[in-house]
Amino acid sequence: MSLLKRIFFLILVQQVALMYCDIKAQTKRKEIAYLQTDRIAYVAGESIFYKLYVLDEVTQKRSELSKVGYIVLRSANSDPSLKIRVKIDAGTGNGSFVLPDTLMSGAYEIVAFTSTMKNCGEECFFHKQITIANRFDNALDFKLVESVPKDSDLLYHLQPNLDFKIKTDKAVYGIREKVDVNLGTFNSKANVSVSVFEESKIPSTDKSIVETLKNGVDAKNIQRKLIYHSPETKGKILRAYVIDAKTQKTIKDVIVLLSCIDTIPNLQYAVTNSNGLFQMLLSDYYDGKELFLTIKDAPEDQNWQIRLEDEFAQSEKWHPKLISNNGNYKEFIVKSQNIVYINKSYQLNKSANEKSITDNTSICPQFYHCKTATILPSDFVPLNDFSEIAVELLPQVKIFKEKGKYDVQIYNPLMKRFSAITPAVFLDGVYVDDIDKIIGLGSDQIKKIDIIDNERAFGDLIFSGVISIISKSNEIASTKPASCSFRLKNDSINVGSGVVTIDSEYIQNKNIPVFKQLLYWNANLELNATDETHFEFYTSDNAANFTIRVEGVSENGTAISASSNFQVNNSINVIGK
Amino acid sequence: MKHYIYISLLFICISINAQVNVRTKIKDVDSTFLPKLTGDFFYEGKMYIGEQYYNKDWMTGDILLSTGAMVYDKSLKYNGLFDELIWLNGTNFTKIKIDKPIVSEFWLKNDPYSIIHFKQINLSEPGNVKQKDVFAELRVEGSFSLFVQRKISIIGTQLDYINNVVCQYDVITATPIYYIKLPSNQYLKLNKLRRRSFLKFFPDKKKNITKIIRTNNLDVSEESDFVRLIELMNNDKTL
Repeated sequence: MSLLKRIFFLILVQQVALMYCDIKAQTKRKEIAYLQTDRIAYVAGESIFYKLYVLDEVTQKRSELSKVGYIVLRSANSDPSLKIRVKIDAGTGNGSFVLPDTLMSGAYEIVAFTSTMKNCGEECFFHKQITIANRFDNALDFKLVESVPKDSDLLYHLQPNLDFKIKTDKAVYGIREKVDVNLGTFNSKANVSVSVFEESKIPSTDKSIVETLKNGVDAKNIQRKLIYHSPETKGKILRAYVIDAKTQKTIKDVIVLLSCIDTIPNLQYAVTNSNGLFQMLLSDYYDGKELFLTIKDAPEDQNWQIRLEDEFAQSEKWHPKLISNNGNYKEFIVKSQNIVYINKSYQLNKSANEKSITDNTSICPQFYHCKTATILPSDFVPLNDFSEIAVELLPQVKIFKEKGKYDVQIYNPLMKRFSAITPAVFLDGVYVDDIDKIIGLGSDQIKKIDIIDNERAFGDLIFSGVISIISKSNEIASTKPASCSFRLKNDSINVGSGVVTIDSEYIQNKNIPVFKQLLYWNANLELNATDETHFEFYTSDNAANFTIRVEGVSENGTAISASSNFQVNNSINVIGK
Repeated sequence: MKHYIYISLLFICISINAQVNVRTKIKDVDSTFLPKLTGDFFYEGKMYIGEQYYNKDWMTGDILLSTGAMVYDKSLKYNGLFDELIWLNGTNFTKIKIDKPIVSEFWLKNDPYSIIHFKQINLSEPGNVKQKDVFAELRVEGSFSLFVQRKISIIGTQLDYINNVVCQYDVITATPIYYIKLPSNQYLKLNKLRRRSFLKFFPDKKKNITKIIRTNNLDVSEESDFVRLIELMNNDKTL
């Protein structure tokens, strides 16, 4: 009896422990984002180079969970100025984006987050303040963000690795001189980002990665969201609701289809849950493409609509503490404007976005992978519309009109009759919800027709066959979407140069003025325990004090933040232009 | 009374735990992340005498698609007569002949310890325009790989009376074909397991292979012994 009691007690303890571990794991599974930018002050028209770190809150190692990061640039009145999607690979992602010339001068906030972080509320997002001046703003009477007393030594006092130091071969350099920087060795492998930029006295609340991780997020303030956001472990997840436009109620168990313009019919579908929400995984294939969403078999007497959830949306307003007197910083801003003016005039900013082309080797979610019967209307006598084409060229297709609307049926050779189930009709790769959209297309518009007359399955969906029409000039783009359909342009993954440095070609050409406030940017520099890490760059004609700033995380989760200064002497004075 | 409290506490813990696990599982297999299988409806209109499937009952299986994505836990049957993979869609109980080009490999799971692994192999000869892709069971993987195409062939016809009506049925039977994949990626075909015809493929290594057969007392005409022979050939460094 006593043995039984003991076993019973052990089972009880085990169950309680299991429950505790699971709850603990769920509450602790959080990510922290940190974004390093090349500088903290910009002129509209310049590029911002960034590196986004996504770390596991517990281990502080680079997170393997999220594969998509979001960056929002918003102005002091909380209006988003730029929205950027970043590809995260092994906890880091980098790129660059150009600040629109139309941005007003003032303080801006960069917000960085992942989908998982939305579950903890916006308090968990990474926030960083930067200053942007418009290139043509001569008055410069904008307000700046109030900062803690900025001292470069104070900013980086929290160095976890005191042995990690940045060493330059000299303390003072001339113009157009090579600078050799030695980062030494580190006790474990680490991936860091390095920025060499001109020091400014512009106020900032910029934090190092060490400070960000040390402060973390106050767990007490976190308000868990009722709507769960799945981690984007494979790519962007499109989230949208199906609602009744009249009653504003969400509709459950509705099939929503997604396709985009392509030479191959493609499809993806999702079913709305009890909250009317549906989610779709958007692979790289959908990057930059126009997405066509439609509700399958939407009742004609109902006004169902697809309402998209903005993945960049920020519900909380930004209330920066602004200081009105920016007189002390005007000199630096004017200098920055002049440098941008010179660089634009001599077109010296080529390096900023030259690597913005990505290899899109993603796979199309094809609707079928089998042989089709192909008809090329150009091989036959010209026919006026699709119903004529069906009669003359497509014996397996029957088009008929019922209650003023066209309908289509496909002859099933196995059943030896026209199938009552509707076939899947595609125009330029896009699923067409209404046959009336293709009925007007004649031989002049149609390039190719592919037919499958077997009953087809696509996941759980059943179609009596497939009619795929490829038009000569993307007719789908000009068709009017039905009320239950939704079109949107999917954003592209932001990419950009991981390394920025002054080209030696410019350095050697004395006839070109080379003025740079960013001398070097490397988003991915590897440190290791055996070999010293060196990097080199050239100084420009800009005489100023420069800061070398290193931020990163080692393999074992140790945060690395360090900075060092050097000076560049020059005889040319830009301010006197 | 104390015992009752303990027992109720235990049941509460078990039920909460079970719910937590189910919830986590649902998240993992969220349909958002699963690729969709495509194919034609499969109608078994014609009757045969014999079994057209390699596995008579539906087996749970996983499929590796040519896109690199995996599809898990589908009810599958391999049809040896048509060399097609048939999927029973549990949602609408339809039988689907999965589009062959999209299937790269599949695993039929009898139980966790007995998994049948099929791969789609390309047997097109160089210069031959017509593609010949077949599903074949992977029995041995190594320098020498052994694939078995679980082919079902029509071997004759038989007349039968049903309701006093004469019906002609095709008689079908298993006629496996063995393919040995050489390190040079070339396939050697064996319609029947015979020691002599097998040794003909390896004139230079005939002695060594014969030695392996004799030492291990293998009967090459038996599939299990033939599998063992290929495994031993892979372990033999002289081959």
